[in-house]
Amino acid sequence: MDTEKIINAEELFSQDKEAEWILAAKEGDQKAFHQIYIRYHRRMYALCWRMLADKSSAEDVCQEIFVQLWLKISSFCGDSQFSTWLHSVATNIVLGYLRKQKNWLQKVFSIEEQGVHEITVEMAELSELDKHIMRLPERARLVFVLFAVEGYRHEEISTMLGMAVGSSKSQYHRARSLLREWMD
Amino acid sequence: MNNRKKTDQELEVEITQLSSEITPTKDLWVGVERAIAHQAQERSSSIFKRKTHLAWAASVIAAILLTWGALYPQTQIKQAPSNLALMMEQNFEKNKQLILTSYGQSSSKGLSSEAQKQLKELALARTAINKALKADPYNSDLLNLLRWTQQQELDFLQQIYSPQWQTI
Repeated sequence: MDTEKIINAEELFSQDKEAEWILAAKEGDQKAFHQIYIRYHRRMYALCWRMLADKSSAEDVCQEIFVQLWLKISSFCGDSQFSTWLHSVATNIVLGYLRKQKNWLQKVFSIEEQGVHEITVEMAELSELDKHIMRLPERARLVFVLFAVEGYRHEEISTMLGMAVGSSKSQYHRARSLLREWMD
Repeated sequence: MNNRKKTDQELEVEITQLSSEITPTKDLWVGVERAIAHQAQERSSSIFKRKTHLAWAASVIAAILLTWGALYPQTQIKQAPSNLALMMEQNFEKNKQLILTSYGQSSSKGLSSEAQKQLKELALARTAINKALKADPYNSDLLNLLRWTQQQELDFLQQIYSPQWQTI
């Protein structure tokens, strides 16, 4: 019981601190913004790496997320939890980056995606499941990360990725099936 | 079948155990900090430019109002009231709401005090022009000034809410 109280108190304290940091960052306090960075950069980096399947791009886009956050933080009005809002901002930035990266051949001929990726040396630090997620074809990977890891609904994913809800579901099953196959 | 089901469950367990965090191998804050400093520099110079523009606009407005007042006494310029300025203002308000809504804002209240100040100055300029237009509803210079001021306000809102991509 006491432990529970302590945990709750810690949680509340941490939320209070976060609210203070947000308020100060809105007023241009870089130190407060750094605290927000310290708290969230690992989560943002995980999101970037899983969605982009490329370490170097993940580093670039993770930095971009925090630069955009610095510029946009004044528009956070507290209607939702900060972490929820940040994840939605970050997801949009990652998807925007992916759209910009698509080469003209893919755009003109609607080539769906490249095949299965190889596990690279850079992925050594990742968990087994993460390594396999990185190998997934792009659409299957994006749907899998957004649904299974980030907790979005297929309806939301279909809007984000510009695909039918049914396609989102089938890509998810495709991802699961490939992961099961590879993890056997 | 049984074996597949088991693998499915195992996968589910692996997914739930997946860490929500991955630690980057290099310090990403350095790049973020540099980009923020660069942004701040650009911002302050653009704010300075904007303030110069506003000061210039305010002087032009004041000069026009003074000249107009001296040349045409109030009694002579009483004409049928025009709805043009009113329509422009209504149109402007719609566009402003459209911008705010498109960026998920219900109003511009959540902005920083500096941004609020800028918007207030532009709103004051608009009020002054509208006041002058009540006395002289068909003055094309005043109508152009009103349109210019409204555009400045819309551009400013776009600039705040729609940050550009930049290289780090």
